[in-house]
Amino acid sequence: MPSQYWGSLAHLRDAEIPDYCIEQLIKAGADKVQCVYSQGEKRELNVDAGEFSLFRTTANHGISLAVIKDQKKGSLSINKINQDDIDEAVVTVLTMATSSMPDEAYDISENQPAKSFLKGPNEPELEKMYNRMEEFMDFSGSTFPTTIIEQAIMDFSAGTSYYRNSNGVAFDETGGSYSFSAMFTSKEGEDTSSFNSAGFSSLDMDNPLHEGGSIKRLLKESAEHVRTKPVPEKFTGDIIVTPDCIMNFIGFFLGNISDYRLIAGTSLFRESIGKAITNGLLTLHSTPLSDDLSGGYFVTGDGYEAANATIIEQGILKTFLLSLYGSNKTGLKRGPNSGGSLIIDSGKTALNDIVKSVKQGVLLSRFSGGSPSDNGDFSGVAKNSFYIEDGEIQYPISETMVSGNIVDMFHNIKDISEDNVNFGDEIFPWVHFGGIIVS
Amino acid sequence: MINRDLNQYSGHFSEYTELRLQENRNNHISLVNGDVMGNSVSSSSGVSSRVYKEGNWGFASSPDLSDSAVEYVVQSASDNVRFMNDRNKMQCGFILPDTCGHYEMDLTTQISRNSQKQWIDFLKDIDDYIQKKYPNLTSRTIVLAGLDMEKSLLTSAGSTSYSMTPRGIMYISLNIEKNGEPVELMDVFGGLGQLEDHFLDPAHFYRNIDSLVDHLSKKADGVYADAGTKDVILDADLAGILAHEAIGHTTEADLVLGGSVAREYMGRQVASELVTLIDYANSVEGKTCPVPVYIDDEGTPSEDTVIIKDGELKSFMHNKDSARHFETTPTGNARAYAFSDEPLIRMRNTAIEPGTNTLEEMIAAIDDGYYLMKSSNGQADSTSEFMFGVPLGYEIKGGKLGNAIKDTTISGVAFDVLKTIDMISSDMTWSAGGMCGKKQWIPVGMGGPAIKCQVNIGGR
Repeated sequence: MPSQYWGSLAHLRDAEIPDYCIEQLIKAGADKVQCVYSQGEKRELNVDAGEFSLFRTTANHGISLAVIKDQKKGSLSINKINQDDIDEAVVTVLTMATSSMPDEAYDISENQPAKSFLKGPNEPELEKMYNRMEEFMDFSGSTFPTTIIEQAIMDFSAGTSYYRNSNGVAFDETGGSYSFSAMFTSKEGEDTSSFNSAGFSSLDMDNPLHEGGSIKRLLKESAEHVRTKPVPEKFTGDIIVTPDCIMNFIGFFLGNISDYRLIAGTSLFRESIGKAITNGLLTLHSTPLSDDLSGGYFVTGDGYEAANATIIEQGILKTFLLSLYGSNKTGLKRGPNSGGSLIIDSGKTALNDIVKSVKQGVLLSRFSGGSPSDNGDFSGVAKNSFYIEDGEIQYPISETMVSGNIVDMFHNIKDISEDNVNFGDEIFPWVHFGGIIVS
Repeated sequence: MINRDLNQYSGHFSEYTELRLQENRNNHISLVNGDVMGNSVSSSSGVSSRVYKEGNWGFASSPDLSDSAVEYVVQSASDNVRFMNDRNKMQCGFILPDTCGHYEMDLTTQISRNSQKQWIDFLKDIDDYIQKKYPNLTSRTIVLAGLDMEKSLLTSAGSTSYSMTPRGIMYISLNIEKNGEPVELMDVFGGLGQLEDHFLDPAHFYRNIDSLVDHLSKKADGVYADAGTKDVILDADLAGILAHEAIGHTTEADLVLGGSVAREYMGRQVASELVTLIDYANSVEGKTCPVPVYIDDEGTPSEDTVIIKDGELKSFMHNKDSARHFETTPTGNARAYAFSDEPLIRMRNTAIEPGTNTLEEMIAAIDDGYYLMKSSNGQADSTSEFMFGVPLGYEIKGGKLGNAIKDTTISGVAFDVLKTIDMISSDMTWSAGGMCGKKQWIPVGMGGPAIKCQVNIGGR
């Protein structure tokens, strides 16, 4: 990177840049300030339509400022890091704050012991990245010759964030990880499968890419999905939701226990702490510090050291995922983290045995659905999915809709598999639901 | 403001090279039940370069806009393509088609700029109007969002362009409670232009708010749609997302190469003869489209891509590399969202051409079906099978509008659905805030006339 990159701030170390911003804002009259300075790099290899196509390297950095004055708040982010731009940003964000309306709920995190956090490598094994991509292309081409890798992306991202606020908070977070994703379609003559995609993240490149996440299974299912037919009839039955698909439904619960819906007053679970919001089979954790995950984080967006938490324990809602603002606004307890890094506890039944228990249903691998209604009603198309009858997977399906109500559905969990998939950022099993309309 | 003239950097080029300087500026204010929940501005700027050699691309970017950073980025992109060439020799000898053009477009508003306080006051006025007139609503969310996308481009073939493409949007989302359950409806206003171009006077939106609340009240009393294959009218919002998601994506040449079903359909009748579907580059009948593109981010002069003409599949959308593969000419569809993004094949303004019918004639022609007005989201895949969320619609019984319906979903195989189109309205409306996700998010134009066709509708 060119040496004059920092302009007249070249004398400052990275960690001192947010201190400078806070100092300038307090001098200018701000009451409370949070500043995060982040810098990082990404290296990315791309395959398009089955061929290596692109090697991309990007560098970026940025400052995010949040300022409170007279209980009014403004926020600003820039990626020009020199004294003139920072000084201009100081004036702008302070003006934005004073232009706004007061809200007693605005605040910044209180002082906590300074800490530095580190996870993952800071430099990629570039040659290994290329070789693993080449190995993946060879594997998919030889094992699933009818499957076209529409796009595959392998990247390594690393960077450091410096969190500071005017209450003395000082957290440094450095991390690096690999991620891989592939989108693919299978074709035989004019017969074409639905596209599907899979991916995972990892701290190393020690294993073949097709062994990561659900990739090999979904490639196999894609090849089987070239010729499909609809379910034989409309019925009310079971669905087994795969680990790849379960977030479509879990997301509804997370939305209802986070800032926006709780503040707006539209959450279904406002009064549900300590109460059952699913049946007792479901336990859901948010574990940003988990060693089982390559992803995660150590500091929340509002400047607290993150902690692992159980969100739903045997069906009982244990915590909301409220930010400091959301907590102050609603009078409810602040969440222990900013969500994500989800783990659903596995059950005790083998997936094969769960399939055997289904009289009539669908193995739901991908859900293409509209946003659920505020009350949880949903409907959408079962993609890359299979019809199940009399305990056996019968055939791949198309033009099939599933519909129901997410709240009711989670009260009708029949089983959860002992099998699970670690995607790096989350770990999910297969979840068996009853009472779903399939048409 | 970024440097408009990049010619001084041409000496750094040694292979096929694109050089782009870009700044994206965002302004975002949100009010939830009258409280300011978001009040932020951001800007992200930098330089990127992409180099092509022997069938491979190298790309590099930096947030620094200095002369030395430009030289560094071009050199890094060259190093990156060398990394690929050293390892992947399967595509030696590939040469991209030459294109060259020059264009400057600056759509900065001519109206004096508002301060952040004026925008907050604007939203507060609208919120006050809603709260006073409709006290029974359980929640009100109003969001104002501005995006200025400013780009300068120079290519080794000599193309130059400068563009400042702004978008100003306001979302209003309202909730009401019915039988203890929340019911929501949202509308979007604005489009091409900065916020000042669309939002001068809050009173201009009172009538829209009245209409939104009226629809919301009817939806709260609405019925479940009767599931099955039905005659429907898809209003412009849904016809636009059908054109974009279900047909447009399958005819992007990179997705065609990736296995899209459209490859087999080229030259075939894939729709009713009433249907002509176009990805407009920048204007329709003299009117500027929501996302005007005159030179794309590979330096290709943009032209309309007629995807379907009178029901026959005629063309795919191309960048230079796909045009090389298909031995055709690039169509100017290569676009990147941020300075650090490489250009991808993206739609610009995709719509079915208007027909000759009125909406009233189309409603009168349906005995038992639905008039579907808004979409909440949409997805489609390589088979052209699609799914769209429908948050607002009405029954049609005996040629007349009936009850509102609850949230539902429509689905079908787009190339089959297009064959069922038997009426198209004569008007054309663009949706205000179309965004498309494909590795990168990017603004797109979607819209068109209303169409009468058959789709599967979800329900109970």
